[in-house]
Amino acid sequence: MEIKPPVLVNAVPPYGHVIAHEKWRDSVLVQSLKGTGNVKTIFEEELGVVDFHLSNKSCILYVSETDIVAGNNYKRKLVRFRNANSSLQGIVVVEKTRLSEQYFPAMQKFVVFELGLTLLPVASQLEASQLLTQIVHGESKDNPFRRKSVSRLLDPLVMSLVQQIPGVGKVKARALLQHFCSIHQLCSAETHELEPIVGQATAQSISNFFHNPLV
Amino acid sequence: TSSSLVPQAQSSVVQVAAACKPPASSPGLVSVLVDSRCITACVDVVSSLRQRHAVTAHVCSLDGCDFVVSNRMAVERQNQSELAGSQNRKRLVERVTNLQGLFERICLIIEKDRTKPGEVSRPSQRTRYYDSTLASLVRAGVRLLVSGGPEESAALLAELARLEQRKGQAISVPLEVKGHRQQALAFYRTLPCVSYVSALNMAQSFRSVSHLVNSSVEALQKGACVSHPRAEEIYRSLRYSCDTTLMNTSTARKNDI
Repeated sequence: MEIKPPVLVNAVPPYGHVIAHEKWRDSVLVQSLKGTGNVKTIFEEELGVVDFHLSNKSCILYVSETDIVAGNNYKRKLVRFRNANSSLQGIVVVEKTRLSEQYFPAMQKFVVFELGLTLLPVASQLEASQLLTQIVHGESKDNPFRRKSVSRLLDPLVMSLVQQIPGVGKVKARALLQHFCSIHQLCSAETHELEPIVGQATAQSISNFFHNPLV
Repeated sequence: TSSSLVPQAQSSVVQVAAACKPPASSPGLVSVLVDSRCITACVDVVSSLRQRHAVTAHVCSLDGCDFVVSNRMAVERQNQSELAGSQNRKRLVERVTNLQGLFERICLIIEKDRTKPGEVSRPSQRTRYYDSTLASLVRAGVRLLVSGGPEESAALLAELARLEQRKGQAISVPLEVKGHRQQALAFYRTLPCVSYVSALNMAQSFRSVSHLVNSSVEALQKGACVSHPRAEEIYRSLRYSCDTTLMNTSTARKNDI
């Protein structure tokens, strides 16, 4: 039977909430989300292959130990999960237990390398609920791993670039940049223009550095 | 002088594009760069890469990551226990944010801690801290891989390198640099957004330092095998006009923000 496209596939729950598939209603995972995690759950039947929708535009597919060991068509489910959620970040949460451990490397290879999804192993539903809680609450916090793009002054950088030229130290670099204010200008300078600033030997060394063939 | 350089720059684009393609003759051979500082911790990984996966592992001094598997991907390796505690957090944050400035893609391999012979591995309590670190890394776009030990880490690295090779991003530049090129390499590495492997590509692709300095953004992009925004950043720094009154702070390192 053809599965209808789920209505709520792109729904984003309010902050601090998750939308969970109806089948999770009485699970340990959802109870623990509510109890220790302080995350509110909204249940929905029409989530398609997705198990949880999170408010940071990510959605979660949960692969249980039983799914893995029984080989329960989870590959097809994963492909459908990937295809259904192109606008959302797909996270696959996998139960990696003593029983399912042996299948894990193959599973990881498929999920990460072939499908390009994120895979996070957990040992139990309880651990999954702790992980989900951190994903949900983490959104409001500043992410330390995200590189902040701050415009910075390039002057010190150009200064250290000039000092990479053999024979040029701090003093000569500064003197050079007072006359030729960029690397591009310095590179175009003739040896006789450099000589009065840094002396004959260094002028030659600078010219060699820029113009000697590298091959 | 600049007008005479235009035709040269254009002709180089073709050569450079060819230089970035993996050699078609050796599809199975891939190169991985290994940081000399991680060699003690990763010795098992490196020998497995060489012996079991036929990967050319070249040890060199990298830019603050453990492995480089392609022109655009850096791989960091961490023990699971290191990720669970806060002592190591600052170092990891510094390394990851620094790598984001240098590489398009960053991977973190989380390796299971080694148990000593005779020691029973006890399941450690998963900390909230560990989960929040994972969540932050995922949100920052870092790819996570889980490994059961050095053997598995090596297999993952080899797999990543082959995957990148299929996407035309394999490290294909000669890894030995001699003579005048070493000076050019040191200069290139000081440029913003330039990783060791980009600098190697530059040293290979441009006839001289002056050729690189006079190149267009597009030629820089192809010659260094970097993205367009990174090439723009390099271009900008080469043409940036200094104000010498601001020169007193000369100790700044690149990517120091």
